[in-house]
Amino acid sequence: MITVTGLTKQYGGRTVVDDVSFTLEPGTVTGFLGPNGAGKTTTMRMVAGLVPATSGSALVDGRPYAALPNPGAVMGTLLDAGAVHPGRTGRTHLRLIADALGVPAARVDAVLELVDLTSAARRRIGGYSLGMRQRLGIAAALLADPPVLMFDEPANGLDPEGIRWMRSLLRDHAGRGGTVLLSSHLLGEVEHTVDRLLVIGGGRIVADGPVASLLGTDGVSVRAADPAALARALTGAGFAVAPGTDGELVVSGASPADVGAVAAAGGHALTDLRPLQRGLEDVFFTLTAA
Amino acid sequence: MTAAVIPSSRPVVPRRSGASLSAQVGLEVRKSLSTRSGVALVGAAALLAPAAMSVAVASSAEPLSSPTGPVVVTGMLSVLVLLALGVLSTAGEWTHGSVQTTYLLEPRRTRVLAAKAVAVAAVGAGVAAVAAGLATGVLALFGPSVPFDGVGRAVLVVGIAGAAFALVGAGIGAALGNTPGALTGVYLLNLGVLPLLQLFTPALADAIDPGNAVLSLAQGSEQAQSITVLTVWVAVALVAGAAMTRRRAVQ
Repeated sequence: MITVTGLTKQYGGRTVVDDVSFTLEPGTVTGFLGPNGAGKTTTMRMVAGLVPATSGSALVDGRPYAALPNPGAVMGTLLDAGAVHPGRTGRTHLRLIADALGVPAARVDAVLELVDLTSAARRRIGGYSLGMRQRLGIAAALLADPPVLMFDEPANGLDPEGIRWMRSLLRDHAGRGGTVLLSSHLLGEVEHTVDRLLVIGGGRIVADGPVASLLGTDGVSVRAADPAALARALTGAGFAVAPGTDGELVVSGASPADVGAVAAAGGHALTDLRPLQRGLEDVFFTLTAA
Repeated sequence: MTAAVIPSSRPVVPRRSGASLSAQVGLEVRKSLSTRSGVALVGAAALLAPAAMSVAVASSAEPLSSPTGPVVVTGMLSVLVLLALGVLSTAGEWTHGSVQTTYLLEPRRTRVLAAKAVAVAAVGAGVAAVAAGLATGVLALFGPSVPFDGVGRAVLVVGIAGAAFALVGAGIGAALGNTPGALTGVYLLNLGVLPLLQLFTPALADAIDPGNAVLSLAQGSEQAQSITVLTVWVAVALVAGAAMTRRRAVQ
């Protein structure tokens, strides 16, 4: 569980993270979205104790990260897949981390197999592709099987199979009661992976809620045998009706049941009736437009 | 890629507490020796003193009164290489970004620097002593016949110098957090600033030059002052390194 309260970071007179608060519960995958420079990575680095906060607090499992007895065993973190010594082999890199965490060496082989890097384990990391480094970073985060995972842009460099694998990994982790915080710029990927969205813009949280509620519905699209007559009936019932781009009628602020009731009362034959749902991309740009 | 299920037949049980300081020192030694640059530096340091002694023995026809001077002087060449080992152990992590992993596993930065300091001091002392021992061997085998009284002390002092110089490198590396900058700084200081100072204010240069302190220590003169000079160099570098490391954000 991660609890962030009033977290603020200022560099000189510039505020890059401004009074950010949220609580992440076990059993959930939370997507952390925001445009470049919005403060996602700085927030995550403050949670991990890598960047000191100007004010506010971030607790992992009830304590500041730096106060955890064996922090890597509580939160598996992937912030920058390139932050590794290129001269070490993948296996040596993981062996050093495993020894620091106090997990058996056999676990290194297990996570290497999990991320499909067994065959590259004896190669120097400098020769790895971005996707391989990303998988090595995920392997390192999973070494101690920690209850909390915090990944910054983990899908970078992964191929479609890898992205699907990672989605399954994170969902499975939450399914076993784990807590996951995931930042990504791949909006479609986030939409299909997370339960909850945190949207940050200009250093402030601009939206926080379940995916379904944030995407929500934004009216109804309806087609009728006599669209003009239906439009008059809907307008008469107090609904705002506008023509769609493909001959349909767009009824703002109405539910399918509302439109169905008006149509039934007036004897209008409907050929199509569906709620209009906003895509994550629309929500993202609406919320983060400064 | 295999199924995204973390094997649960044998649950992973990590240590409840962080690694002990001795375990961290061991990890830092392994880190230094798990890269080609680390191994190359240790190898170069171990071989430089005997190589220099070979050249000296082959090119000098003058009789020797004592082996102490040649052993310490050639040993100091190895010790200078160990400055770089210290720099790489701290600044190298900032340059590569691997310091992020280090602090995610052990957020107590002063403790990490302490472990690194003990690790490079141990490696530095060991490698410098081996280098001085090999140089002594070369002198014994191929050099003029001299009494070897005091050579044990010379090897010991070179070992101490190896530890001290590696610590100075680690401290300056931690303070600057940048490998090229730290390497340039330490070598400019030792091979540029101090020799220049020797030209203009020789008394001051003699008083603060760590190389001079090592030579004096080996010859048994000005013991307290020599130890003080080396201690001050190490302390200033490590305190600066600790202060800068504590406050620097890991970006």
